Amino acid sequence: MWRRLTATEGGQGLLMVSPPLIYALALLAVPLGAILLFSFWTQDFMAVDTTFTLNNYREIAEKPIYGALLQRSLFVAGCVTIVTVIVAFPVAYFVSFHVRPERKSLWLFLITIPFWTSYLIRVFLWKVILGYNGVINTGLINLGLIEEPLTFILYNVNAVIITLAHAFAPFAILPIFVALEKIDRSLLEASQDLGESKFMTFLRVTLPLSMPGVVAAVLIVFIPTIGDYVTPELMGGAGGKLIANMIQTQFLALNNAPLGAALAIVAMLSVSAISLVFVLLNRRWLKGRS
Amino acid sequence: MTPLITLKGVNKHYGDYHALRDIDLEIGEGEFFSLLGPSGCGKTTLLRTIAGFESVSNGLVTIGGKDMAGVPANLRPTNMVFQSYAIFPHLSVAENVAFGLRKRSDLDTKAKQTLVEDALDMVGLDGYGKRAAHALSGGQRQRVALARALILKPKVLLLDEPLSALDKKMREQMQVELMRLQRHVGITFILVTHDQEEALVMSDRIAVMFEGRIGQLADAETLYRRPRNRQVADFIGKMNFLDVVVRSSNDPVDLEISGLGRVTISPDQVPEPVTIGKAIVGIRPETLSLLFDGETTDLRLIDGVVDEVVYYGDMTYYDVRVQGVEKPLNIAMKNVIGRPVLDVGAATRVVWDERSLVLLN
Ligand SMILES: Nc1ncnc2c1ncn2[C@@H]1O[C@H](COP(=O)(O)OP(=O)(O)O)[C@@H](O)[C@H]1O
Ligand SMILES: [Mg+2]
Repeated sequence: MWRRLTATEGGQGLLMVSPPLIYALALLAVPLGAILLFSFWTQDFMAVDTTFTLNNYREIAEKPIYGALLQRSLFVAGCVTIVTVIVAFPVAYFVSFHVRPERKSLWLFLITIPFWTSYLIRVFLWKVILGYNGVINTGLINLGLIEEPLTFILYNVNAVIITLAHAFAPFAILPIFVALEKIDRSLLEASQDLGESKFMTFLRVTLPLSMPGVVAAVLIVFIPTIGDYVTPELMGGAGGKLIANMIQTQFLALNNAPLGAALAIVAMLSVSAISLVFVLLNRRWLKGRS
Repeated sequence: MTPLITLKGVNKHYGDYHALRDIDLEIGEGEFFSLLGPSGCGKTTLLRTIAGFESVSNGLVTIGGKDMAGVPANLRPTNMVFQSYAIFPHLSVAENVAFGLRKRSDLDTKAKQTLVEDALDMVGLDGYGKRAAHALSGGQRQRVALARALILKPKVLLLDEPLSALDKKMREQMQVELMRLQRHVGITFILVTHDQEEALVMSDRIAVMFEGRIGQLADAETLYRRPRNRQVADFIGKMNFLDVVVRSSNDPVDLEISGLGRVTISPDQVPEPVTIGKAIVGIRPETLSLLFDGETTDLRLIDGVVDEVVYYGDMTYYDVRVQGVEKPLNIAMKNVIGRPVLDVGAATRVVWDERSLVLLN
């Protein structure tokens, strides 16, 4: 059996992927299956009633709070994605086109510096920056630009978007940078040679050829932000809570794991559906570019 | 010849590196002009200064009488076929060819379509318009690059080693097609190549470049028969070099060739002025021959011994040692009927003629 496995190429491949495969099954598929199972059960005070039912899903569909939270989550994730990609593109473009080749890895290294501190600490840092007595407010007051501290920058959706966009920026910069690096520079010269200005060359050649990187960035930012729990918890205040906070509340505070599980499944399905539509829309358009 | 492009005293520095040195050039309307030289001599740099991708450090570039200083590439009446072809991978063949037509507001979609079809027709790609550009072969990419440039009817088409990525058969076919195309459209072509045969076959005139300088500018026959110096003679084709002492540099020129003896040649065989004293002469391998048994000649003869034989099928190249000549003479012989291939060490006689000599500094 072992011989047969190591002899063929397919067998060798199987052997190579099996440790991560087992790992993935144990840590991803099994918990997912458990969540799915839980979502069809109900909480009966302290015990879990394991008869199959769709009651949790019915409750999610009927009570407007869940739909509203999911909508807000999608909206926030969409905003974060747009802001992040719009901010990340010029940075990636600058590093790819205007930094000398031998300096590029240094720049990428600098871009990843925020990751040296933990996510939680970075979120707290934004609290210090955006807070009532924070850096921005004291700065603006000392400059005499405002009388009263600004309140719309902390404990609401804006603060969540700012913090998440900053946290995910490197994830967006890297794929866009890679896509820009892959563009053959002679294509840009060819475009200018054929009469286009630098700006039109950007629109007609650079931008379309960098789309695979932009698509990757969008997915990388959008998917995890929907499920983010820490930032809305710390920065969102009452009005900035998202679906993940509700799931946590159901599991822990309200001790209703089945409803929490059903919410998690609904959130996951929404993300999958949106990502899938996005990928399919791009497929036709991205054909032949890589 | 009305000059379309003139370069006067063009220099280009990259930091400390002097890539172009005092280039003076005039290229005529409708001319097929080649820049020939070893890799790294500055051919691409020179082409790119004409295209507008490189600025000149000093000197003047004019196209059609207009000074090109400060004119960016997109506003010059030149188009380029890049060495890598630079076909846009996200566009179809037709979209690639139509790329430069966007600003032509005088044409409607229909007229543009017709132009694209005509251009594809011209390069032998009719019916390929809908194909994805990334699915083309090397030869087809090159044709797309040509159509994309020619559709804009530039005054000058610049080609940077357009054939070097193709295999030998394809290369020879494209040489002929490019020449036919150039005659058909009547546009000035400037071709960059490191392949001397390609340059000789295709061009009206050739500039041979070494280390950022033009070594010689002439038509193919002059370059081959009357190279100005040893560097040019060495780069173009094969050449035997023999030491010589110049006795008189007047008409006729009186020479004492080591190993071959004393001869006189006409001043026409001296491309650059020489002084009395030491110099070298060049003799092409195909202007020398071996005298086989039973053959006779009125020309000069000298005894030698075969040192090396290289058989090519249609030709045999011999290296023949001759007393008093420093290096063995390289001799090219056609393998005609009845002519044996000699063995190394065989005694033979070399036929030569002073009319095929060229005297160099
Ligand atoms: N952008 C550049 N920066 C520095 N040196 C360059 C640059 N472009 C070309 N060179 C140098 O100029 C010389 C001529 O280059 P090039 O014109 O490409 O040669 P060729 O096309 O004849 O092979 C080379 O030695 C090359 O290294
Ligand atoms: Mg080159």
